[in-house]
Amino acid sequence: MVVVLRKERKSRLSAMIDQAGGISVGVALAQARANLETLQAQSQTIVAERVAALAALPEPDRAVANAVRAGMENAYEIASAVIDAAGPFELFDLCAVAAGLCDLIDAAQDPERFDWRIVTVHAQSMQLIMSLAPEAVAERAQVLDSLKQVIAKKIPGAEGETDGETPEADPV
Amino acid sequence: MSSSFNENLRESAVFNLSNAVTMVVDDSPFGLDLTTLALRGFGIQVRYSCFSAADAIKVLGDHQVDLMLVDCEMPGMDGHELVRWVRNSGLEPNAYIPIIMTAAHVRKSKVGDVRDCGANYLVTKPFSPSSLLERLIWVARDTRPFLEVGDYKGPDRRTREGRPRDRNERRSDMIALNNKKARSLAEAIETAEPI
Repeated sequence: MVVVLRKERKSRLSAMIDQAGGISVGVALAQARANLETLQAQSQTIVAERVAALAALPEPDRAVANAVRAGMENAYEIASAVIDAAGPFELFDLCAVAAGLCDLIDAAQDPERFDWRIVTVHAQSMQLIMSLAPEAVAERAQVLDSLKQVIAKKIPGAEGETDGETPEADPV
Repeated sequence: MSSSFNENLRESAVFNLSNAVTMVVDDSPFGLDLTTLALRGFGIQVRYSCFSAADAIKVLGDHQVDLMLVDCEMPGMDGHELVRWVRNSGLEPNAYIPIIMTAAHVRKSKVGDVRDCGANYLVTKPFSPSSLLERLIWVARDTRPFLEVGDYKGPDRRTREGRPRDRNERRSDMIALNNKKARSLAEAIETAEPI
C-alpha cells in the first residue's frame, strides 16, 4: 500500500504577487533586457574562450585508463558553459550546436568507442558560426542541418524525442 | 498551460514580487550575474547569492526564503541533491518554498532526478527574460498541493484536472508508455553504430 500525504500549502510568493504596487510585464521585460545587455560583451568573451578551449582539446590517449571519459566530461562541461553564456543573448545557433554535442556525449554508452571527431567537428562548427555574418542565414542552417544528421545517425530516436515531452515542456 | 503562460505575459499585466526573499544558487559567477540581473529587471532583489549547495544550506537553516533558483550542474552536491535536501529538511517554511531549477543541458541519466527531486519547475537554457518571467509567474501562482509519497516530497507532479481514465491512476499510463519507449530505444541502440 502506498501512503500519500497531501498538504495544501500556499507560498508567500502566491500571496505577494497580487499585492498593490509592482510593475507591468512589459516594463519588467524591458528592464531585464536592458540589464542583461550590460553583460553582452562579457558573454561574447566567455563564449569565444570556451569555443577556443573546446577546439584545442586534444584527442585523449586511448591507452590511458579513463582518459577518454575524462575528455568527454571536459568537452561536455565546456559545451554546457557555452549554452550558459550564450543563451540569454539569442545566439540560438551556437546553443543548438553546443546542445547537440552534449546530447551526443551523454548518449555515448562506451567511452572507449567514442569517436573524438564529434568533438572536433562541433568545435569547428561553433567557430564557423561565430565567424559568419548575421545575414548568412542559409550557411548557418546548412551547418545545423549537417550536425542534425550526425545526431540522427548516432542517437536513434533523437528526432522523435523533442515533441513536447522534454522536461522543459512541463513542470517537474 | 500555454494559454496561462500567454496570459501571464500580457504586457500590461502587473505583478509584484518586490518583497520576495530570493536565493540564487549557481557555481558559475557569470550564470549567477545573468540570473540576478534578469530578476532585478523584474523588480526582484536577490538577497542570497550562493556559489554552492553548502553555502545555500547554511543560509536556509537560519533565514526564511520565498523563492529559490538553483542550477542543476554544480560540483559537489548538485542542484537535484540540494532540492531534495530542502524538501526533506523539515525546515518550516523553507521546505515548501517554490524552487525553479535551471540547466544548460539535462543528461538522460538525470531526467529522473529532475522529476523526482521536488522542484516546482525546470527551465532549460538558453532562456530569455520572457521565458524566465513566465515560469516565475507560473510558479508564483502554482496552487498544486505538496505530496509526500514514498521518497518523493514536493509539489504534485500532475498538473491536469480531471478524472483518471478507466479509473486507473493517470501516471501509470505514462509509466507504461515510457517503459515501452525505453525498450524500443534500447533495442535501437543495441543495433546502432557505436558513437
